[in-house]
Amino acid sequence: MRRMSPDNIVLRSLAQIGDCGLFLVAVLKAIPRSLQHARETVRQIWFIGALSLTIIMVCGLFVGMVLALQLYHVLSIFGGTAATGEVVALSVYRELGPVLTALLFAGRAGTSITAEIGLMRATDQIAAMEMMAVDPLAYVAAPRFLAGLIAMPLLTCVFCAATLLGSHLVGVHWLGVDNGTFWSNMITAVDLRTDVVDGILWKSVVFGAMVSLIAVFQGYTTPPTSEGVAYATTRTVVASSIAILALDFMLTAFLM
Amino acid sequence: MTQRRSYAVGTGLFIVLGFATLAYLATQTTSVANVRLGATYTVDAQFANIGQLKERAPVKVAGVRIGQVKSIALEPGKEVADVKLAIDQHYDAIPDDSVATIFTSGLLGDQYVGIQFGSSKKAVADGGSLALTRPAQQLEEMLGKFFGAGGAADNLGGTYTVKARFTNVGALSVGAPVKMAGVAIGSVQSVQADPVKLDAYVTLAIDKRYSQIPDDSAAAVFTSGLIGTQYVAIQPGGSPDMLKNGDELVLTQSAMQLEDLIGKFLVNGSSSGDKKADGAPSNASPAGKQ
Repeated sequence: MRRMSPDNIVLRSLAQIGDCGLFLVAVLKAIPRSLQHARETVRQIWFIGALSLTIIMVCGLFVGMVLALQLYHVLSIFGGTAATGEVVALSVYRELGPVLTALLFAGRAGTSITAEIGLMRATDQIAAMEMMAVDPLAYVAAPRFLAGLIAMPLLTCVFCAATLLGSHLVGVHWLGVDNGTFWSNMITAVDLRTDVVDGILWKSVVFGAMVSLIAVFQGYTTPPTSEGVAYATTRTVVASSIAILALDFMLTAFLM
Repeated sequence: MTQRRSYAVGTGLFIVLGFATLAYLATQTTSVANVRLGATYTVDAQFANIGQLKERAPVKVAGVRIGQVKSIALEPGKEVADVKLAIDQHYDAIPDDSVATIFTSGLLGDQYVGIQFGSSKKAVADGGSLALTRPAQQLEEMLGKFFGAGGAADNLGGTYTVKARFTNVGALSVGAPVKMAGVAIGSVQSVQADPVKLDAYVTLAIDKRYSQIPDDSAAAVFTSGLIGTQYVAIQPGGSPDMLKNGDELVLTQSAMQLEDLIGKFLVNGSSSGDKKADGAPSNASPAGKQ
């Protein structure tokens, strides 16, 4: 911590949020300078984006399969199984896709960002960069933040596509919903602006910024001990999950 | 160097894959036609009742989508809904005496505007109107005396309040819409039981824009659809005086329970049969009396 933390837990959390906000401003200011390290940003997109594809696709597939299974049985009560594709698409585009991807992203990429930067801090690599007149905000923090911002929406799209594939497998191939009605009901119900742009894109960009900010911030401000790194990693997951779900509610209320 | 190039290529592949899936989701799983608004022209149609028609609902000819509903508003001072249809420029040969009808896809499906061609040689132009319309067919109307449904209440600006008494409000709750000709014009402000008269005392907040409602209008508690929520429908009367803030609607019709309605339907059917038998003693009753 850069300053004395107050004892009161409320004050301490407030101080954390304030520090995080100031850190966001510093990172945003460092982004133009980080463009000279563009290769580093590309490497981070590869590491936190492309390498997360497997978990995102597998999870998306299973989420789609279980959604189709559950919805089919509920909808069959009303004789509305033809709406399976439509309900899966709407719930995934609007809520599940961005939220689940962000939670997975926090677990898969957020923790590794925190641990990596935390270890850099603990082993004085960040202090060494400052000694060599390399701005650690521009070389370490900003590329990871940017990479998270870019990777999140792309991962969310892949997640949604995998979900549709999963629900199609279960709904059409296993439970026998008609292939044509599955797609045509979905196409009539899903709206480009409210579902794809407001749902998938807006939410995932906001979540991507939030998760990578928290991960970089926790790593950057961790106490330089092995215990401190462990706590910072845990805090990344806890804080990101709460922030994702709270922001999701606010964004939904705001965008609807 | 080779390692660096491998992750750069991988990252490029990842980004291309991401954008490809986004393009797929955006074009193959959505109704892109809903936002394609470039080449359309607007046609007016006035309906006595729009039912549950919503903005962006499809406009169809022979079941094929040719456009969408652009806006729905209540004609000021009249009990008609003014619906603007945005129709694709390709379909510019719609005869100006065509009939616009509000249909429902299936029993519980969404509503849409269907256009049946007339025989006129003249095509309806941009900004023109279809004079011949048929309102939404309500299931309730066929069953009994219900009518009107659809849409959420407007975002209300200024409102004035009107009171109404009902012997039974059914499941009417605070915030339920108040509708005229199927268009929401206000909301229910409070529902209270009168401790003296032992009936329900309902306060309606009506948008100031709709200040031209005759003071002998009737209020009725209706249900939207078979299993929908309840709302208050206002049927305008013919009085030259308009409703003012604080007035009370004298003519009211209480909520009808579906069970009651079906019961009445069944009972009425058999009792009218009895009456007919009484009225025609030559055929049936002699045999009955013996």
